[in-house]
Amino acid sequence: MMCNCKHGSAIMRTLALSALILYLLCVNAYAAEELTLWHSYRGDEKLALEEAVRSFNASHPELQVAPLAVPHEAYANKLTSAIPRGHGPDVFIFAHERLGDWSRAGLLAPVTLEEKELERYYKSARDALTYEGKFWGLPLALKSAALYYNPRLVPIPPKDTDEMLKIMREISRPEQGVYGLAYEAGSFYFHAAWLFGFGGYIFNDKNEAELNAPANIRSVEFVQSMMKERLIPEEPNAALVAQLFNEGRAGMVINGPWFAGEISKDVSYDIVPLPIVSATGQPAAPFLTVEAIFMSSKAKDRDNAFEFMCYLADDAAGLRATTGRQAVALTQPLLPSGKQIDPLAARFLLQAPYTVAMPNHPLMRAVWEPAAQALRKVMRGAAEPTDAMNRAQLQLRVLTRPAPPEKSPSPYIALLLLIIVALIVWLLVWMKRHEGWRDMRRAGTAYAYLLPAALSMILLLFLPFIVGTAVAFFSHHEGEFTFVGIANFVSILTSSDYAVNDPLSFYFTLVVTVLWTAANVFLHVTLGMALALMLRHKWLKLRGVYRVLLIVPWAVPNYITALIWKGMFHKQFGAINAFLAWFGVEPVSWFSHFWTSFAANVATNTWLGFPFMMVVTLGALQAIPADLEEAAEIDGAGPVRRFFSVTLPLLKPALLPAVILGSVWTFNMFNIIYLVSGGEPEGSTEILITEAYRWAFTRQEQYGYAAAYATLIFVALLIYSNGTRILMKEKT
Amino acid sequence: MAELRLKFIEKVYDRKVRVLAGITMDIADGEFLVLVGPSGCGKSTLLRCIAGLEEISDGELYIDGKLVNRLPPKDRDIAMVFQSYALYPHMKVRDNMAFSLSVRGMPKDEIEKRVAQAAEQLGLTNLLDRFPRQLSGGQRQRVAMGRAIVRDPKVFLFDEPLSNLDAALRVQMRIELKKLHQRLKTTMIYVTHDQIEAMTLADRIAVLNGGLLQQLGTPAELYESPANRFVAGFIGSPSMNFLHGVFKRGERPSVAGPGFEFFLPADYAKIEGMPDEVTVGVRPHQLDPLGKRHGTAQAKVEVLEPIGWDTHMHCLLGDTPVVAQVPSEHIRGLKAGQDVTFSVFESDVHLFHPQSGYAIRPGQPVRAE
Repeated sequence: MMCNCKHGSAIMRTLALSALILYLLCVNAYAAEELTLWHSYRGDEKLALEEAVRSFNASHPELQVAPLAVPHEAYANKLTSAIPRGHGPDVFIFAHERLGDWSRAGLLAPVTLEEKELERYYKSARDALTYEGKFWGLPLALKSAALYYNPRLVPIPPKDTDEMLKIMREISRPEQGVYGLAYEAGSFYFHAAWLFGFGGYIFNDKNEAELNAPANIRSVEFVQSMMKERLIPEEPNAALVAQLFNEGRAGMVINGPWFAGEISKDVSYDIVPLPIVSATGQPAAPFLTVEAIFMSSKAKDRDNAFEFMCYLADDAAGLRATTGRQAVALTQPLLPSGKQIDPLAARFLLQAPYTVAMPNHPLMRAVWEPAAQALRKVMRGAAEPTDAMNRAQLQLRVLTRPAPPEKSPSPYIALLLLIIVALIVWLLVWMKRHEGWRDMRRAGTAYAYLLPAALSMILLLFLPFIVGTAVAFFSHHEGEFTFVGIANFVSILTSSDYAVNDPLSFYFTLVVTVLWTAANVFLHVTLGMALALMLRHKWLKLRGVYRVLLIVPWAVPNYITALIWKGMFHKQFGAINAFLAWFGVEPVSWFSHFWTSFAANVATNTWLGFPFMMVVTLGALQAIPADLEEAAEIDGAGPVRRFFSVTLPLLKPALLPAVILGSVWTFNMFNIIYLVSGGEPEGSTEILITEAYRWAFTRQEQYGYAAAYATLIFVALLIYSNGTRILMKEKT
Repeated sequence: MAELRLKFIEKVYDRKVRVLAGITMDIADGEFLVLVGPSGCGKSTLLRCIAGLEEISDGELYIDGKLVNRLPPKDRDIAMVFQSYALYPHMKVRDNMAFSLSVRGMPKDEIEKRVAQAAEQLGLTNLLDRFPRQLSGGQRQRVAMGRAIVRDPKVFLFDEPLSNLDAALRVQMRIELKKLHQRLKTTMIYVTHDQIEAMTLADRIAVLNGGLLQQLGTPAELYESPANRFVAGFIGSPSMNFLHGVFKRGERPSVAGPGFEFFLPADYAKIEGMPDEVTVGVRPHQLDPLGKRHGTAQAKVEVLEPIGWDTHMHCLLGDTPVVAQVPSEHIRGLKAGQDVTFSVFESDVHLFHPQSGYAIRPGQPVRAE
């Protein structure tokens, strides 16, 4: 019945439109519930996770999970900085080891599960996620090392270490680079299997670290004996282990599930649990890492978060065990129809009962460095196990030094304000005296043009600098910053914790840094200049080709250079020792002694840095008029005299800034030291900048101490560059 | 002091570019020889070959009877003054001058004595402790010469040393150079593109063009008896006028062309192989507008350039532009656009072969190529 057709249809249209709008609004509002999930999965695990998330989202239209893959390196740091500020995820996947730190820092929310739910997970997984009586996340997967073996070399895998040693003695032929067992023996992570197998422990009953417990020492002696019999390769690293196994030169490898992805297709392998330690009758028990999904304390909706966590840990376990190839923590996952648990995962599950959960003790992270140093020292034959572990224990105690007492910031702030006021007053007076205001008004537009650049400089340069320097006045401990005044500086400069000739002392490192800089700059300049002079000669054919080739070292990214050179300095498989062997020189253990390790660093950095000096010299040489050298030639000067009396003095004005730049860069050359020698032996080849890095990131995050180091580096370089500038002025 | 002998000196670059095509000449002991020629003629290259800064591709060079092709510069006992002075900027004047001596290990007091002596000769005594950048162009040039003088070499080599100076300074330095040569009496080889410098300084001049020696002779010889058209046109300023004419034998030989007829000395009639057509050369100041000489040339005045005592008359003779240099008082009242008749003495007329460019003179064979 259409009464009033026109009006009627208008009303209908309006009603329909409003209904549509209302519906859209409701739908949007309805779909607004989002849950952010962070993870650092790659490969199969990532595929399985994404599939799980997809099916969860499909079945939960009102709750959408948004996963975000975070690169692994800075993942932990990102979490610790983002969560407290509310920018972090609602839930995230991580290994359990930081649990202690994070729960004390208030980053996590505990979860509660009924007893019978809990029992569906492996005990070791549950234990790993327990801290101070509470349960902190849902376990997803178990990761540990196990024993890989090549059936062609090792038909029957060993049940205990006596059998293992027997097999190793049969197989190993060190002159040909064939070994019964290859694994990263210098890494504490892998050594832990032997440590626990010998009945050792890291933290004693009083919950203190005790690296030099007798059983620990015996485990190190065990590895030392294998080393002495040349049954395991020297200076093993991950790349070497993989290479040996892939070339069929390693019978057995101790490694984790990730290693399977590095094995080439034509190498057959199988995996069994690690053997029993014959001396104790206990199984070698590697570290167990439990990967779990945690809830952020700042999660928007805890119930929703928990719902997804349960889904992923429980319902999606089957998917993760098959597509994701994970050794899931759920004892009986529900598998997708027709699929079996991934064989790789199944093998590692066999090891799971014989593992020790990585301690979530806050001090655990400080253990790695001293323990690894001790192991490597023993492996090189530079120390006996007892001494090495004792020193590691000592180092640990020193590295976890208590924070300096808190001070009141008032006097410092007062001083700062005073300085700022003085600066402003001085600036105003200066402006007045030099008619700066008038100049500024006149050049108004010029200043406007400068403004963007000035702003970016302030934001990118000055602000971080000021913040960095300010941090040096604080001490950072477990997420909290306390003001300590100049205590950090005092402790560094007075070397209160270490003797001056201990590698950890500021002065030791300073001397090494200065030596490092001087040696490099000298070699760069000499080599660069020599090559530039040689490239000048017209009779040298293919000059252009040489020039390009000689620039290449500079063009290659320097961390690649560093890694390649490090490989070349490997004692057993490195190119340098192979080359020296031609001349009958015994293989040198480059990183066992300070001077050889230092030389390795210098060699690498020289290779990297001479092109710069060469290019500068080439340019400066063009500016020298040719007839000056001809006049010198006619005057009777030979090539050497010509160089020193004519060429060099004229090169100086160009070289001097290059040398200053080069020395500042070398002083702070992090990559080479960190990647080539890594500070070996025992941190003696560290330079100031790498030392500062370690204080910040490997020694309990002592940011304040590290910032003080950085500030001191800045001051040192400031003095140096100004000093040379003044010297330059005097000369000319 | 030494004599030099150059025998067929050749210099080739990259096996293709021949900069010196076989130079042969003897330079007497104590002589001031000037190498002159247009840009690219090879004069600087020849000088550098003598110095030893360039390698001689072919030929022989003897200094004082010794073959020096393979000797490096420092063993040839020569000193060189560069166009850009090439003073060591980071050394004081004193050290610049002393450098070569200290390289040879001369004792310090001997060096000081020599440097002081040379500085005195060149008026540099007050400037000994200055740096080159604190000196004027002329002072720098003198330091460069001082550096050469202290060496007491057998031969001095100069590579266009006055080119970078302004005109007035150039004149002054020319005189100083001449005085220097008179005092030292050392063999000097001097390169320039300026023919006035060549004429005023040289005992003998070597004119080069295209890597070949065109003529070697005294300034007078080159001026009065140029060996070919190139030398005739190069030496003398303003340069010689060239016309095309036809030779007429007879008792009074003459050469005539559109607008002119000049007479020649009688022995020109006896020259064998004289081509019918010749190039005629007359120097500007040999054209006389007052009708006091012989022969005629009808020309129309285009531009008059008074240069003081003389005037340059730029005229058109037939189709050819000619220049006459005439005392100004002889042509008072003459204006541009007017006609003028020139006359020339017989002895002032030069003949050149139209193809080869060689001069045609009685008593020497006509060279057609």
